[in-house]
Amino acid sequence: MTSIGNDAATVTGNLREMRHGFELYPPFQKPEIACKVVGTIKGFTTDSVDPEDWTWPAGYEIKRETIRSMAPHGLYAHCAFIQAIADAKLAEGDISNRDTGLFAASAGSPMLTYYHHDRMIKLGPARCSPLGIVASIVGTLNFNLVAAFKIQGASTGFSSACASSAHAIAYGYEEVARGRQKRMFIVGGEDGNTDAILPFAGMRTLSLQSDPALASRPFDVARDGFVGTGGGVVLVLESEEEVSRRGVTPYCELLGWGQASDGYNVAISHPDGLGSKAAMDNAFKATGVLPASVDYVNAHATSTLIGDISEARALRSVFGEMGIRPGISSTKSLTGHGLSLAGAMETGFCAVLMRSGFMPGSAHITKLDPACEGLNILRATVPQAPKVVLKNSSGFGGANVALLMRKV
Amino acid sequence: MSDSVQSPQGSNKSLTVVSKPFAPDDETALREALKRCSPSTFEAAVQFRKTGNADHMPAVVIGVIERFVEPDLRAKLKDADDDLRLIEDLGIDSLTMMEIVILVEDVLQLSINNDELRNLRTVGDVKTFIDCKIRGLPLPRPTKFLPIEHIGAVMPVQPPFLFLNEASVSSTGANGKYKITGQEFFLQGHFKDNPVMPASIMLEALGQLAVLFLLEGAPTEPGKAIGSNTIFFTGCEGVRAHRMCKPGDILTLSIKPKRMKMPLATFEGAIRVGQEKAVIAEDITLTFAYVDVAVAPAPVAETSQPGSSSEGSGSNPPLRVAMNA
Repeated sequence: MTSIGNDAATVTGNLREMRHGFELYPPFQKPEIACKVVGTIKGFTTDSVDPEDWTWPAGYEIKRETIRSMAPHGLYAHCAFIQAIADAKLAEGDISNRDTGLFAASAGSPMLTYYHHDRMIKLGPARCSPLGIVASIVGTLNFNLVAAFKIQGASTGFSSACASSAHAIAYGYEEVARGRQKRMFIVGGEDGNTDAILPFAGMRTLSLQSDPALASRPFDVARDGFVGTGGGVVLVLESEEEVSRRGVTPYCELLGWGQASDGYNVAISHPDGLGSKAAMDNAFKATGVLPASVDYVNAHATSTLIGDISEARALRSVFGEMGIRPGISSTKSLTGHGLSLAGAMETGFCAVLMRSGFMPGSAHITKLDPACEGLNILRATVPQAPKVVLKNSSGFGGANVALLMRKV
Repeated sequence: MSDSVQSPQGSNKSLTVVSKPFAPDDETALREALKRCSPSTFEAAVQFRKTGNADHMPAVVIGVIERFVEPDLRAKLKDADDDLRLIEDLGIDSLTMMEIVILVEDVLQLSINNDELRNLRTVGDVKTFIDCKIRGLPLPRPTKFLPIEHIGAVMPVQPPFLFLNEASVSSTGANGKYKITGQEFFLQGHFKDNPVMPASIMLEALGQLAVLFLLEGAPTEPGKAIGSNTIFFTGCEGVRAHRMCKPGDILTLSIKPKRMKMPLATFEGAIRVGQEKAVIAEDITLTFAYVDVAVAPAPVAETSQPGSSSEGSGSNPPLRVAMNA
């Protein structure tokens, strides 16, 4: 469930054709709100604080007792979960057992946190909803999905802001690679509404562009901040034994990962991208993959002034100095920045584009930032399947994760 | 987190009688609060808030419960008697129970102490409870659910002539279940190659349930109890059998006391299989006697006021068991 589609086929088509998912977001069309554009989730209404008011696309049966404790992104992810089960051809017995776990990443639900606290303050603790906490705090995503799908293996949540769901994938990989679990569901989710996005205005990191086709333009010299989005994405990681036992063809193979921290600033990435570079180096070291074999990099680049340059420098130090020129793009130019959801969403994109055989362009670049010189930033989709893909993610506190994948 | 469900901070104030006039603003708030309930629930709530007449309360409570029950289970609530169980029959968990209580509190303008909730196991328990709160009456003794071990321990009748698998006893009557296994000794001859539960045995089963009521649910005087070896059958009237009952059938038995004056107790009784009537008995009369006991049994209506009611609910409160599960 993303701003560019609610199923793998639609998302694949929109990535290939470079169609964005941005709209003028109605709640932002007020004089006091300078930010106007959001990567909206279509087919759902989740404005109400009462989940029983919500609507979602046909074909997903969700009971009141399941939805009552959810945040909006819980609903998105729940629908994605149902799709993932079908897409991965998982039987009922493959889901609920001690060998199958779930790692999730979301920032909780600021909308519901505010609503329930406000109610407690105004009406007193006796009128608090019994489900208010599990619907709103960080962890709501894993609480709800583990219960709804009767997950019996490992479960927890990850909280490293915009690197969260990349961390979830990374540690999910560890669970499977170390033989602790046979299968892991990796879930990313964000409400992507006013309460989730607008607080970033305080940092002046949101794009103030009112043209949906210009607002998100990573690596462009005129970029002015990110465009917020939400949604829900579910990935299924499985051991090779399980893949062959079930006789299924995965989208791709996750080779391994690396991480490193900037140790620099709470919210500003290191100007030379040292942490990001170290994360990529660690991923190469862990997997034995050589930088020269990377065909495509799905960048973290969110369209902020400092962040994009920082990552560009990291990429140049990893690839450019050796004369290696993998295709690079930021699909946030099409979706917006999904925050905790971003890593899982974009890893999902890498998976579908490897299977479909193309490298999507980085959209909306009119004039490439000179700081990107020496990098092969794709301006249009290349109809060629990358064999090895690198996915970068970075979050607050200077957390950096790099994931390496291979086409199967 | 289940701890927080078991011992949330609730108001200790347990009874609020409607006092302030019902304003248009209140009606708007009430309509919003009950927007997912049936129109008749809203109407009943308005009437209650305007008049304070407790007769409107059951419609409100049932309407609120219905709103929280999954749609496919709501039919059960429609034809239900008061013995419908909240957890087992309606799928209401302890969190949903909290949701129900918060809405009932809001709509009826009363506060319910958390300890009081734990004894509410059936729809009837809820209705009686709210009714007592509104009228300011002492709270009734909760329905007791008796597993077969307990039944076997108190009953003078024993296998292979005991025809109750489980039972619940409240101050207003008793319900039980018995599954015809096909292994009952008398079915070998009743009838030849055609096992049918004898109507006389079904009447016996109703009688046994009445005995259980006398032992576990009937009011007694302090220092007295009904002696289990003092109870005998004296007569019955108005018995009709409507349906043959065969191995595999689950008999649902219910009895309600009609008159009780030493040494006679008269009950009405009925047996159903699913929704089908099987046996009706208009009058089943037993004779009984009191015996002295060393320890006084608990009175029928607990006199302990809410707030100190944890003491009263300490024996075997059913919802607490469910919450711990």
